[in-house]
Amino acid sequence: MAEMLPGWLLPIVAPFIVLNVVVGMVTYVTLLERKFAARMQSRIGPYRVGYHGLLQPIADALKLMMKEDIVPTAADRPIYNLAPIVFLIPCMLIFATLPFAPGLGVADLNIGILFFIAVSSMEIVGLFMAGWGSNNKYALLSAMRAVNQIISYDLPYIFAALVPVMLAGSLKLSDIAVAQEGFIHWFVFYPVIGQLAFLAFIVATLAAENRVPFDILEAESELVAGFRVEYSGMKFALIQLGEYAHMVGSSFLAALLFLGAWDGPGPEWLGPAWFLLKAIFIFLLVTWIRWSFVRIRVDQILALSWKVLLPATLVLLICTATLVVWRTSGGI
Amino acid sequence: MTGEVIAFWALSAMLVVSAFAVVLSPNLFHAVLWLALALTGTAGIFLLLDAEFLAAVQLLLYAGGIITIVVFAIVVTERLVGERITQTNRRIGAAAGVSLLLLGLIVNTLWNQPLATVKASMSSADLTKDVGESVLTRFVLPFELLALLMLVAMLSAIYFARPEE
Repeated sequence: MAEMLPGWLLPIVAPFIVLNVVVGMVTYVTLLERKFAARMQSRIGPYRVGYHGLLQPIADALKLMMKEDIVPTAADRPIYNLAPIVFLIPCMLIFATLPFAPGLGVADLNIGILFFIAVSSMEIVGLFMAGWGSNNKYALLSAMRAVNQIISYDLPYIFAALVPVMLAGSLKLSDIAVAQEGFIHWFVFYPVIGQLAFLAFIVATLAAENRVPFDILEAESELVAGFRVEYSGMKFALIQLGEYAHMVGSSFLAALLFLGAWDGPGPEWLGPAWFLLKAIFIFLLVTWIRWSFVRIRVDQILALSWKVLLPATLVLLICTATLVVWRTSGGI
Repeated sequence: MTGEVIAFWALSAMLVVSAFAVVLSPNLFHAVLWLALALTGTAGIFLLLDAEFLAAVQLLLYAGGIITIVVFAIVVTERLVGERITQTNRRIGAAAGVSLLLLGLIVNTLWNQPLATVKASMSSADLTKDVGESVLTRFVLPFELLALLMLVAMLSAIYFARPEE
């Protein structure tokens, strides 16, 4: 496809397509989550809008677009208004470096995974702008908790992601995917190290996305809706969009790092479909955890990160490094 | 003008404006946000110089990490002090004088000793690999010393943060 377009058009068309696909996907992922959650609780879930509720996300989006946009009088106006955009940009940028199939992606950077992690860590700026700009005690408390949690879980997240990087010997996401070709080479099946790293990565992902059991920053019973409590209408929609986009992006990353990305049976053009299926599997795993566990306390969250996850991932990283050195120096 | 030059000037303008806003904005929280913008702009400049690794690290550590910590410090100290901290300074004239002097010194040095304009040749196409290799071979001693320094800083932080007996 890339050959058919003039050279200058490609940098515009490719991000346009990816952004639209992401927005469309994120919209429907919300329906998937609601249906899945409903089934887990023996409910039906959205059913009335369209066939089996298939038009529900569209109805939701329309409703949000038509809602009144309220700015609290006490809010710090420019910051309050900018926050949803600042929050959304990093969440969308993470898709820039994901290769959906060999050669199919916006920019397969040399530093792919580093770019992904660096950009997604920028999300906290927008979150804090929302929390502070609203001038609301719940929002501010929520933003503070978020800062706390993100400082704690950034390191285990990076360390766990570094295990596949070391096994593949490259920061480039497509290289990591290629290194896992063939079912048994998926890094999740790598003896011991693979499973432990996958487990640590999923836990750190849950914390990085503020999902249950780590959702203290929007603990409904204490903080109403957390940092987005003052937002309504389209600004609220933008924040939700960013949050779900980040989650979908992280699911893709987990599928790429541990589940072999586009590797699967069938012809090569089925690759993106396999990748999507794996990402949805990770997403459903996260949703499953969300609806099965209770929220844990702030001190428990911090203790889990600093006393368990951080040392564990560090040891794992050292073991992986030793193994890689041993392997390249003529082991197996 | 090529796209690279346009991007450089746009980024530089953004950088200068946001840097001024950091020191001139009276609201401490706004100043931090301007700082975040300035640090992101710096990452952009690094990208233009083909230093992708440095740009990503700049985003991860400075725009992500340092800003988070600064924000945290502001919120926590405002709680303790109980009032909004302003960041205006009565001696703005003296500060401007010192800054101008420093700027003059830097410009003067660069005037007399122009920076090399020839791009250094890289041994391989992968800059990140080069950085990693040189850090762990040729510069391993400074690297380990830095690690030691961080350890000392961490230990002292724990020392200060321990509960009083």
